[in-house]
Amino acid sequence: MSDTSYKTLKLERRGPVGWLLFNRPEALNAMNAAMREELAGAWLELDNDPDVRVIVHTGEGRAFQTGVDVAELASDGVGMERYRESMENWDLHFTAWHQKVAKPVITAVNGICAGGGFHWVADADVVIAADDAQFFDPHVSVGQVVAPEAIGLLRKMPFEAVMRMALVGRHERMPASRARELGMISEVVPAAELRTRAQELAETIAKNSPAAMAATKRALWGALESGLTEACRQGAKEVVSVWGHPDQDEGPRAWAEKREPKWAEPAKHDGAAR
Amino acid sequence: MSYAGLAVEREGPVGWLIFDRPKVGNAMDAAMLADLPKAWRELDEDPSVRVIVNTGNGPSFQTGLDVRQLAKDKDALREQSRRTKRAELLITAWHNKVATPVIAAVNGTCAGGGLHFVADADIVIAASDAVFCDPHVSVGQVSAFELIGLARRAAFEPTARMGLIGRHEKLPAERARQLGIVSEVVPPAELRDTARSLAGKIALNPPDEVRHIKQLLWRALEDPA
Repeated sequence: MSDTSYKTLKLERRGPVGWLLFNRPEALNAMNAAMREELAGAWLELDNDPDVRVIVHTGEGRAFQTGVDVAELASDGVGMERYRESMENWDLHFTAWHQKVAKPVITAVNGICAGGGFHWVADADVVIAADDAQFFDPHVSVGQVVAPEAIGLLRKMPFEAVMRMALVGRHERMPASRARELGMISEVVPAAELRTRAQELAETIAKNSPAAMAATKRALWGALESGLTEACRQGAKEVVSVWGHPDQDEGPRAWAEKREPKWAEPAKHDGAAR
Repeated sequence: MSYAGLAVEREGPVGWLIFDRPKVGNAMDAAMLADLPKAWRELDEDPSVRVIVNTGNGPSFQTGLDVRQLAKDKDALREQSRRTKRAELLITAWHNKVATPVIAAVNGTCAGGGLHFVADADIVIAASDAVFCDPHVSVGQVSAFELIGLARRAAFEPTARMGLIGRHEKLPAERARQLGIVSEVVPPAELRDTARSLAGKIALNPPDEVRHIKQLLWRALEDPA
Protein backbone atom coordinates (compact mmCIF):
# COMPACT_ATOMS: atom_id res chain seq x y z
CA MET A 1 0.00 0.00 0.00
CA SER A 2 1.36 3.38 -0.95
CA ASP A 3 0.14 6.76 0.17
CA THR A 4 0.13 9.26 -2.69
CA SER A 5 -0.70 12.40 -0.73
CA TYR A 6 2.99 13.25 -0.17
CA LYS A 7 5.05 15.00 -2.87
CA THR A 8 8.55 14.71 -1.40
CA LEU A 9 8.12 11.47 0.57
CA LYS A 10 6.72 8.00 0.09
CA LEU A 11 4.86 6.22 2.87
CA GLU A 12 4.31 2.50 2.56
CA ARG A 13 3.06 -0.37 4.72
CA ARG A 14 4.62 -3.80 4.48
CA GLY A 15 3.12 -6.11 7.09
CA PRO A 16 3.80 -4.66 10.54
CA VAL A 17 6.37 -2.24 9.13
CA GLY A 18 5.72 1.34 8.09
CA TRP A 19 8.17 2.74 5.56
CA LEU A 20 9.07 6.39 5.25
CA LEU A 21 11.18 7.19 2.17
CA PHE A 22 12.77 10.44 1.12
CA ASN A 23 11.61 10.83 -2.47
CA ARG A 24 13.58 13.57 -4.18
CA PRO A 25 16.27 11.38 -5.77
CA GLU A 26 16.96 13.96 -8.50
CA ALA A 27 18.07 16.37 -5.72
CA LEU A 28 19.89 13.69 -3.67
CA ASN A 29 16.88 13.85 -1.32
CA ALA A 30 17.82 17.33 -0.14
CA MET A 31 15.24 18.72 2.27
CA ASN A 32 13.35 21.63 0.74
CA ALA A 33 10.68 23.57 2.60
CA ALA A 34 7.95 21.24 1.32
CA MET A 35 9.73 18.11 2.60
CA ARG A 36 10.38 19.74 5.94
CA GLU A 37 6.65 20.29 6.35
CA GLU A 38 5.60 16.89 5.05
CA LEU A 39 7.94 15.05 7.42
CA ALA A 40 6.12 16.39 10.48
CA GLY A 41 2.84 14.78 9.43
CA ALA A 42 4.41 11.62 8.00
CA TRP A 43 6.02 10.63 11.32
CA LEU A 44 2.75 11.13 13.19
CA GLU A 45 0.76 9.24 10.55
CA LEU A 46 2.96 6.16 10.92
CA ASP A 47 3.19 6.46 14.71
CA ASN A 48 -0.61 6.63 14.99
CA ASP A 49 -1.31 3.76 12.59
CA PRO A 50 -2.18 0.76 14.79
CA ASP A 51 -1.06 -1.67 12.07
CA VAL A 52 2.48 -0.24 12.13
CA ARG A 53 4.70 -1.72 14.87
CA VAL A 54 8.11 -0.57 13.65
CA ILE A 55 9.12 2.24 11.27
CA VAL A 56 11.88 1.97 8.66
CA HIS A 57 13.29 5.17 7.22
CA THR A 58 15.38 5.28 4.01
CA GLY A 59 15.81 7.19 0.75
CA GLU A 60 15.17 6.69 -2.95
CA GLY A 61 18.13 6.89 -5.30
CA ARG A 62 21.84 7.00 -4.58
CA ALA A 63 21.70 9.33 -1.59
CA PHE A 64 20.03 8.88 1.76
CA GLN A 65 19.81 12.56 2.56
CA THR A 66 22.03 15.57 1.88
CA GLY A 67 20.49 18.17 4.17
CA VAL A 68 18.86 21.47 3.41
CA ASP A 69 18.15 22.11 -0.29
CA VAL A 70 20.85 24.63 -1.18
CA ALA A 71 19.45 25.20 -4.68
CA GLU A 72 16.16 26.35 -3.16
CA LEU A 73 17.97 28.55 -0.63
CA ALA A 74 19.94 30.22 -3.41
CA SER A 75 16.93 30.88 -5.62
CA ASP A 76 13.87 31.64 -3.49
CA GLY A 77 15.00 35.05 -2.25
CA VAL A 78 14.50 34.05 1.39
CA GLY A 79 17.42 31.67 2.02
CA MET A 80 18.08 30.33 5.52
CA GLU A 81 15.99 33.17 6.99
CA ARG A 82 12.96 30.99 6.27
CA TYR A 83 14.13 28.71 9.10
CA ARG A 84 15.37 31.33 11.58
CA GLU A 85 12.35 31.32 13.86
CA SER A 86 12.03 27.55 14.17
CA MET A 87 15.77 27.18 14.81
CA GLU A 88 15.97 30.01 17.36
CA ASN A 89 12.96 28.62 19.21
CA TRP A 90 14.24 25.03 18.91
CA ASP A 91 10.89 24.16 17.36
CA LEU A 92 11.78 21.48 14.79
CA HIS A 93 9.43 18.76 13.56
CA PHE A 94 11.21 16.75 10.92
CA THR A 95 12.74 13.77 12.80
CA ALA A 96 11.16 10.95 14.80
CA TRP A 97 12.73 12.36 17.96
CA HIS A 98 11.35 15.86 17.29
CA GLN A 99 7.90 14.29 16.83
CA LYS A 100 8.18 12.07 19.94
CA VAL A 101 7.53 8.92 17.94
CA ALA A 102 6.83 6.08 20.39
CA LYS A 103 7.53 3.19 18.01
CA PRO A 104 10.99 1.82 17.23
CA VAL A 105 12.59 3.61 14.26
CA ILE A 106 15.23 1.96 12.07
CA THR A 107 17.14 4.24 9.73
CA ALA A 108 18.53 2.41 6.69
CA VAL A 109 21.21 4.63 5.16
CA ASN A 110 21.17 3.81 1.44
CA GLY A 111 24.00 6.00 0.19
CA ILE A 112 25.37 9.47 0.83
CA CYS A 113 24.45 10.92 4.19
CA ALA A 114 25.71 14.48 4.35
CA GLY A 115 25.26 17.50 6.60
CA GLY A 116 21.68 17.74 7.77
CA GLY A 117 21.25 14.07 6.87
CA PHE A 118 22.83 13.34 10.27
CA HIS A 119 19.62 14.49 11.94
CA TRP A 120 18.01 11.16 11.02
CA VAL A 121 21.05 9.13 12.08
CA ALA A 122 21.28 10.91 15.43
CA ASP A 123 17.53 10.71 16.06
CA ALA A 124 16.84 7.05 15.13
CA ASP A 125 16.85 4.12 17.55
CA VAL A 126 18.63 1.65 15.26
CA VAL A 127 20.77 2.53 12.23
CA ILE A 128 21.98 0.17 9.51
CA ALA A 129 23.69 1.11 6.25
CA ALA A 130 24.50 -0.10 2.76
CA ASP A 131 28.15 -1.01 2.32
CA ASP A 132 28.59 1.92 -0.10
CA ALA A 133 27.06 4.48 2.27
CA GLN A 134 29.28 7.45 3.13
CA PHE A 135 29.01 9.97 5.94
CA PHE A 136 30.35 13.53 5.91
CA ASP A 137 29.38 16.95 7.16
CA PRO A 138 30.14 19.80 4.73
CA HIS A 139 28.63 22.62 6.84
CA VAL A 140 31.89 24.40 7.67
CA SER A 141 33.09 24.06 4.08
CA VAL A 142 30.21 26.29 2.95
CA GLY A 143 30.38 28.71 5.86
CA GLN A 144 27.58 27.16 7.93
CA VAL A 145 27.59 25.97 11.52
CA VAL A 146 26.62 22.41 12.35
CA ALA A 147 24.96 22.09 15.72
CA PRO A 148 21.93 19.96 16.62
CA GLU A 149 22.76 16.95 14.46
CA ALA A 150 26.39 16.82 15.66
CA ILE A 151 25.37 17.38 19.28
CA GLY A 152 22.93 14.49 19.04
CA LEU A 153 25.68 12.25 17.72
CA LEU A 154 28.19 13.37 20.39
CA ARG A 155 25.90 11.96 23.06
CA LYS A 156 25.65 8.65 21.32
CA MET A 157 29.15 7.76 20.18
CA PRO A 158 32.82 8.64 20.70
CA PHE A 159 33.39 12.41 20.62
CA GLU A 160 36.51 12.60 18.49
CA ALA A 161 35.00 11.07 15.37
CA VAL A 162 32.07 13.51 15.39
CA MET A 163 34.29 16.52 15.98
CA ARG A 164 36.58 15.44 13.16
CA MET A 165 33.68 15.24 10.70
CA ALA A 166 32.40 18.64 11.84
CA LEU A 167 35.79 20.31 11.37
CA VAL A 168 37.04 18.55 8.25
CA GLY A 169 33.83 19.31 6.38
CA ARG A 170 33.47 18.14 2.81
CA HIS A 171 37.11 17.15 2.46
CA GLU A 172 36.79 13.67 3.95
CA ARG A 173 34.14 10.93 4.00
CA MET A 174 33.57 8.24 6.62
CA PRO A 175 32.80 4.82 5.15
CA ALA A 176 30.00 2.66 6.53
CA SER A 177 32.50 0.15 7.95
CA ARG A 178 34.10 2.82 10.17
CA ALA A 179 30.67 4.06 11.28
CA ARG A 180 29.93 0.52 12.43
CA GLU A 181 33.22 0.19 14.30
CA LEU A 182 32.38 3.37 16.19
CA GLY A 183 28.89 2.21 17.12
CA MET A 184 27.24 5.01 15.12
CA ILE A 185 25.48 2.22 13.24
CA SER A 186 25.15 -1.45 14.10
CA GLU A 187 25.09 -3.26 10.77
CA VAL A 188 26.47 -2.94 7.23
CA VAL A 189 24.84 -4.93 4.41
CA PRO A 190 25.42 -5.20 0.66
CA ALA A 191 23.66 -2.28 -1.00
CA ALA A 192 21.29 -4.48 -3.00
CA GLU A 193 20.07 -6.18 0.18
CA LEU A 194 19.54 -3.11 2.36
CA ARG A 195 15.75 -2.91 2.15
CA THR A 196 15.26 -6.66 2.52
CA ARG A 197 17.42 -6.65 5.61
CA ALA A 198 15.71 -3.57 7.06
CA GLN A 199 12.30 -5.21 6.61
CA GLU A 200 13.55 -8.42 8.22
CA LEU A 201 15.09 -6.57 11.16
CA ALA A 202 11.90 -4.54 11.62
CA GLU A 203 9.76 -7.70 11.58
CA THR A 204 12.06 -9.22 14.23
CA ILE A 205 11.71 -6.18 16.47
CA ALA A 206 7.93 -6.20 15.82
CA LYS A 207 7.76 -9.53 17.68
CA ASN A 208 8.41 -7.78 20.99
CA SER A 209 5.87 -6.15 23.27
CA PRO A 210 4.92 -2.72 21.86
CA ALA A 211 4.17 -1.36 25.33
CA ALA A 212 7.48 -2.57 26.76
CA MET A 213 9.44 -1.24 23.79
CA ALA A 214 7.82 2.19 24.00
CA ALA A 215 8.69 2.45 27.71
CA THR A 216 12.24 1.14 27.15
CA LYS A 217 12.69 3.72 24.40
CA ARG A 218 11.50 6.52 26.71
CA ALA A 219 13.86 5.37 29.48
CA LEU A 220 16.89 5.26 27.14
CA TRP A 221 16.27 8.55 25.35
CA GLY A 222 15.42 10.18 28.65
CA ALA A 223 18.83 9.08 29.94
CA LEU A 224 20.48 11.34 27.34
CA GLU A 225 18.93 14.30 29.16
CA SER A 226 20.28 13.72 32.68
CA GLY A 227 22.95 12.30 34.98
CA LEU A 228 23.26 8.58 35.66
CA THR A 229 21.43 8.38 38.99
CA GLU A 230 18.66 10.73 37.90
CA ALA A 231 18.27 8.77 34.65
CA CYS A 232 17.87 5.55 36.66
CA ARG A 233 15.20 7.19 38.86
CA GLN A 234 13.27 8.26 35.77
CA GLY A 235 13.90 4.84 34.23
CA ALA A 236 12.32 3.19 37.27
CA LYS A 237 9.04 4.92 36.43
CA GLU A 238 9.16 3.38 32.95
CA VAL A 239 9.89 -0.10 34.33
CA VAL A 240 6.96 0.14 36.72
CA SER A 241 4.68 1.63 34.05
CA VAL A 242 4.03 -1.78 32.46
CA TRP A 243 3.47 -3.69 35.71
CA GLY A 244 -0.06 -5.05 35.49
CA HIS A 245 -0.10 -4.58 31.70
CA PRO A 246 -1.46 -7.70 29.92
CA ASP A 247 1.84 -8.14 28.03
CA GLN A 248 3.51 -8.96 31.36
CA ASP A 249 1.45 -12.14 31.65
CA GLU A 250 1.33 -12.93 27.96
CA GLY A 251 5.14 -12.84 27.50
CA PRO A 252 6.03 -15.56 30.04
CA ARG A 253 2.93 -17.63 29.09
CA ALA A 254 3.87 -17.66 25.39
CA TRP A 255 7.42 -18.56 26.37
CA ALA A 256 6.20 -21.52 28.48
CA GLU A 257 3.83 -22.64 25.72
CA LYS A 258 6.53 -22.27 23.04
CA ARG A 259 4.51 -19.94 20.80
CA GLU A 260 4.75 -16.35 19.60
CA PRO A 261 3.16 -13.93 22.10
CA LYS A 262 -0.02 -12.03 21.20
CA TRP A 263 0.68 -8.54 22.49
CA ALA A 264 -1.99 -6.00 23.41
CA GLU A 265 -2.70 -3.36 20.76
CA PRO A 266 -0.49 -0.38 21.54
CA ALA A 267 -2.36 2.64 22.84
CA LYS A 268 -2.82 5.26 20.14
CA HIS A 269 -1.11 8.45 21.04
CA ASP A 270 -0.98 12.00 19.87
CA GLY A 271 2.68 12.87 19.40
CA ALA A 272 2.02 16.55 19.98
CA ALA A 273 0.51 15.93 23.40
CA ARG A 274 3.46 14.07 24.89
CA MET B 1 31.72 -15.97 55.63
CA SER B 2 29.60 -18.04 53.28
CA TYR B 3 26.84 -16.67 51.16
CA ALA B 4 23.84 -18.10 49.32
CA GLY B 5 24.55 -18.64 45.64
CA LEU B 6 27.87 -16.79 45.81
CA ALA B 7 31.44 -17.95 46.27
CA VAL B 8 33.68 -15.37 47.92
CA GLU B 9 37.41 -16.09 47.85
CA ARG B 10 40.73 -14.37 48.50
CA GLU B 11 43.86 -14.86 46.50
CA GLY B 12 46.69 -12.43 47.24
CA PRO B 13 45.40 -8.91 46.53
CA VAL B 14 42.39 -10.25 44.63
CA GLY B 15 38.95 -10.77 46.11
CA TRP B 16 36.74 -13.02 44.02
CA LEU B 17 32.97 -12.64 43.95
CA ILE B 18 31.66 -15.58 41.95
CA PHE B 19 28.05 -16.24 40.99
CA ASP B 20 27.51 -19.85 41.98
CA ARG B 21 24.13 -21.12 40.82
CA PRO B 22 25.37 -22.69 37.58
CA LYS B 23 22.33 -24.94 37.11
CA VAL B 24 20.04 -21.92 36.69
CA GLY B 25 22.37 -19.66 34.70
CA ASN B 26 23.49 -18.04 37.99
CA ALA B 27 20.10 -16.28 38.17
CA MET B 28 19.51 -14.22 41.29
CA ASP B 29 17.04 -15.77 43.72
CA ALA B 30 15.85 -14.18 46.97
CA ALA B 31 18.78 -15.56 48.96
CA MET B 32 21.40 -14.30 46.50
CA LEU B 33 19.70 -10.90 46.31
CA ALA B 34 19.87 -10.67 50.10
CA ASP B 35 23.51 -11.72 50.23
CA LEU B 36 24.98 -9.67 47.39
CA PRO B 37 25.29 -6.45 49.46
CA LYS B 38 26.99 -8.39 52.28
CA ALA B 39 29.47 -10.04 49.94
CA TRP B 40 30.40 -6.75 48.23
CA ARG B 41 30.81 -5.09 51.63
CA GLU B 42 32.99 -7.87 53.05
CA LEU B 43 35.42 -7.65 50.12
CA ASP B 44 35.35 -3.83 49.98
CA GLU B 45 36.12 -3.52 53.69
CA ASP B 46 38.99 -6.01 53.64
CA PRO B 47 42.24 -3.98 53.41
CA SER B 48 44.10 -6.92 51.88
CA VAL B 49 41.72 -6.89 48.89
CA ARG B 50 42.98 -4.36 46.33
CA VAL B 51 40.82 -5.45 43.39
CA ILE B 52 37.55 -7.39 43.18
CA VAL B 53 36.94 -9.78 40.30
CA ASN B 54 33.30 -10.67 39.58
CA THR B 55 32.66 -13.77 37.48
CA GLY B 56 30.41 -16.83 37.32
CA ASN B 57 30.64 -20.59 37.63
CA GLY B 58 29.33 -22.68 34.74
CA PRO B 59 28.35 -21.71 31.20
CA SER B 60 26.62 -18.44 32.17
CA PHE B 61 27.89 -15.27 33.77
CA GLN B 62 24.56 -13.99 34.99
CA THR B 63 21.02 -14.17 33.57
CA GLY B 64 19.11 -11.79 35.84
CA LEU B 65 16.34 -12.42 38.33
CA ASP B 66 15.32 -16.01 39.06
CA VAL B 67 11.69 -15.28 38.22
CA ARG B 68 10.57 -18.83 38.96
CA GLN B 69 11.93 -18.79 42.52
CA LEU B 70 10.79 -15.22 43.19
CA ALA B 71 7.25 -16.04 42.04
CA LYS B 72 7.05 -18.44 45.01
CA ASP B 73 8.59 -15.99 47.46
CA LYS B 74 6.11 -13.11 47.66
CA ASP B 75 7.98 -11.19 50.35
CA ALA B 76 11.25 -11.21 48.41
CA LEU B 77 9.45 -10.25 45.20
CA ARG B 78 7.71 -7.37 46.96
CA GLU B 79 11.01 -6.15 48.39
CA GLN B 80 12.71 -6.33 44.98
CA SER B 81 9.74 -4.50 43.39
CA ARG B 82 9.95 -1.79 46.02
CA ARG B 83 13.67 -1.30 45.35
CA THR B 84 13.09 -1.24 41.59
CA LYS B 85 10.35 1.41 41.93
CA ARG B 86 12.65 3.62 43.95
CA ALA B 87 15.72 2.90 41.82
CA GLU B 88 17.34 1.58 45.00
CA LEU B 89 18.68 -1.75 43.80
CA LEU B 90 21.46 -3.24 45.91
CA ILE B 91 22.88 -5.90 43.63
CA THR B 92 25.98 -4.40 41.96
CA ALA B 93 29.18 -2.81 43.19
CA TRP B 94 27.93 0.61 42.08
CA HIS B 95 24.63 0.17 43.95
CA ASN B 96 26.61 -0.80 47.07
CA LYS B 97 29.08 2.10 46.70
CA VAL B 98 32.08 -0.22 46.50
CA ALA B 99 35.28 1.86 46.51
CA THR B 100 37.63 -0.95 45.45
CA PRO B 101 38.18 -1.38 41.69
CA VAL B 102 35.93 -4.05 40.19
CA ILE B 103 36.71 -6.21 37.16
CA ALA B 104 33.80 -8.14 35.64
CA ALA B 105 35.06 -11.27 33.89
CA VAL B 106 32.15 -12.37 31.72
CA ASN B 107 32.48 -16.14 31.41
CA GLY B 108 29.46 -16.89 29.23
CA THR B 109 25.88 -15.76 28.70
CA CYS B 110 25.14 -12.36 30.15
CA ALA B 111 21.43 -11.71 29.72
CA GLY B 112 18.89 -9.18 30.96
CA GLY B 113 19.61 -8.25 34.58
CA GLY B 114 23.08 -9.76 34.12
CA LEU B 115 23.92 -6.60 32.21
CA HIS B 116 23.77 -4.70 35.52
CA PHE B 117 27.13 -6.22 36.45
CA VAL B 118 28.68 -5.14 33.15
CA ALA B 119 27.23 -1.63 33.26
CA ASP B 120 28.32 -1.15 36.87
CA ALA B 121 31.86 -2.61 36.80
CA ASP B 122 34.97 -0.50 36.30
CA ILE B 123 36.65 -2.86 33.86
CA VAL B 124 35.05 -5.65 31.83
CA ILE B 125 36.78 -8.55 30.09
CA ALA B 126 35.09 -11.53 28.48
CA ALA B 127 35.59 -15.09 27.33
CA SER B 128 35.51 -15.43 23.54
CA ASP B 129 32.27 -17.44 23.76
CA ALA B 130 30.48 -14.89 25.96
CA VAL B 131 27.33 -13.30 24.55
CA PHE B 132 25.28 -10.31 25.65
CA CYS B 133 21.53 -9.86 25.18
CA ASP B 134 18.55 -8.20 26.81
CA PRO B 135 15.34 -10.23 26.47
CA HIS B 136 13.14 -7.92 28.59
CA VAL B 137 10.88 -6.58 25.81
CA SER B 138 10.38 -10.12 24.43
CA VAL B 139 8.58 -11.10 27.64
CA GLY B 140 6.67 -7.85 28.06
CA GLN B 141 9.12 -6.21 30.46
CA VAL B 142 10.80 -2.83 30.25
CA SER B 143 14.56 -2.54 30.30
CA ALA B 144 15.98 0.56 31.92
CA PHE B 145 18.84 0.67 34.44
CA GLU B 146 21.14 -1.81 32.71
CA LEU B 147 20.88 -0.12 29.33
CA ILE B 148 21.01 3.40 30.75
CA GLY B 149 24.29 2.45 32.40
CA LEU B 150 25.64 0.81 29.26
CA ALA B 151 24.67 3.74 27.04
CA ARG B 152 26.77 6.00 29.27
CA ARG B 153 29.90 3.96 28.74
CA ALA B 154 29.54 2.83 25.14
CA ALA B 155 27.79 3.95 21.97
CA PHE B 156 24.05 4.49 22.25
CA GLU B 157 22.81 2.87 19.05
CA PRO B 158 24.04 -0.67 19.72
CA THR B 159 22.63 -0.37 23.25
CA ALA B 160 19.21 0.74 21.99
CA ARG B 161 19.29 -2.06 19.41
CA MET B 162 19.95 -4.63 22.14
CA GLY B 163 17.06 -3.22 24.16
CA LEU B 164 14.56 -3.18 21.29
CA ILE B 165 15.45 -6.48 19.61
CA GLY B 166 15.11 -8.47 22.83
CA ARG B 167 15.83 -12.17 22.80
CA HIS B 168 16.06 -12.35 19.00
CA GLU B 169 19.72 -11.31 18.72
CA LYS B 170 22.89 -11.78 20.77
CA LEU B 171 25.90 -9.49 20.81
CA PRO B 172 29.09 -11.58 20.58
CA ALA B 173 32.10 -10.86 22.81
CA GLU B 174 34.29 -9.64 19.95
CA ARG B 175 31.72 -7.05 18.84
CA ALA B 176 31.36 -5.96 22.49
CA ARG B 177 35.12 -5.40 22.53
CA GLN B 178 35.02 -3.39 19.32
CA LEU B 179 32.30 -1.18 20.82
CA GLY B 180 34.28 -0.68 24.01
CA ILE B 181 31.72 -2.46 26.22
CA VAL B 182 34.58 -4.82 27.13
CA SER B 183 38.28 -4.16 26.74
CA GLU B 184 39.69 -7.65 26.27
CA VAL B 185 38.46 -10.98 24.90
CA VAL B 186 40.38 -14.16 25.75
CA PRO B 187 39.93 -17.90 25.23
CA PRO B 188 37.47 -19.24 27.85
CA ALA B 189 40.11 -21.37 29.59
CA GLU B 190 42.30 -18.30 30.13
CA LEU B 191 39.63 -15.94 31.49
CA ARG B 192 40.38 -16.26 35.19
CA ASP B 193 44.15 -16.14 34.66
CA THR B 194 43.75 -12.97 32.60
CA ALA B 195 41.50 -11.42 35.26
CA ARG B 196 44.00 -12.34 38.00
CA SER B 197 46.90 -10.86 36.05
CA LEU B 198 44.99 -7.65 35.27
CA ALA B 199 43.94 -7.33 38.91
CA GLY B 200 47.60 -7.82 39.91
CA LYS B 201 48.65 -4.88 37.72
CA ILE B 202 46.02 -2.60 39.27
CA ALA B 203 47.10 -3.78 42.72
CA LEU B 204 50.60 -2.41 42.03
CA ASN B 205 49.19 1.13 42.00
CA PRO B 206 48.66 3.13 45.20
CA PRO B 207 45.25 2.07 46.58
CA ASP B 208 44.10 5.48 47.82
CA GLU B 209 44.77 7.15 44.47
CA VAL B 210 43.14 4.30 42.58
CA ARG B 211 39.99 4.62 44.68
CA HIS B 212 40.00 8.37 44.30
CA ILE B 213 40.22 8.19 40.50
CA LYS B 214 37.44 5.62 40.43
CA GLN B 215 35.22 7.92 42.46
CA LEU B 216 35.98 10.92 40.24
CA LEU B 217 35.20 9.09 37.02
CA TRP B 218 31.90 7.67 38.28
CA ARG B 219 30.89 11.06 39.61
CA ALA B 220 31.44 12.51 36.14
CA LEU B 221 28.65 10.24 34.86
CA GLU B 222 26.27 12.16 37.10
CA ASP B 223 26.62 15.33 35.03
CA PRO B 224 23.76 15.72 32.61
CA ALA B 225 25.70 14.96 29.46
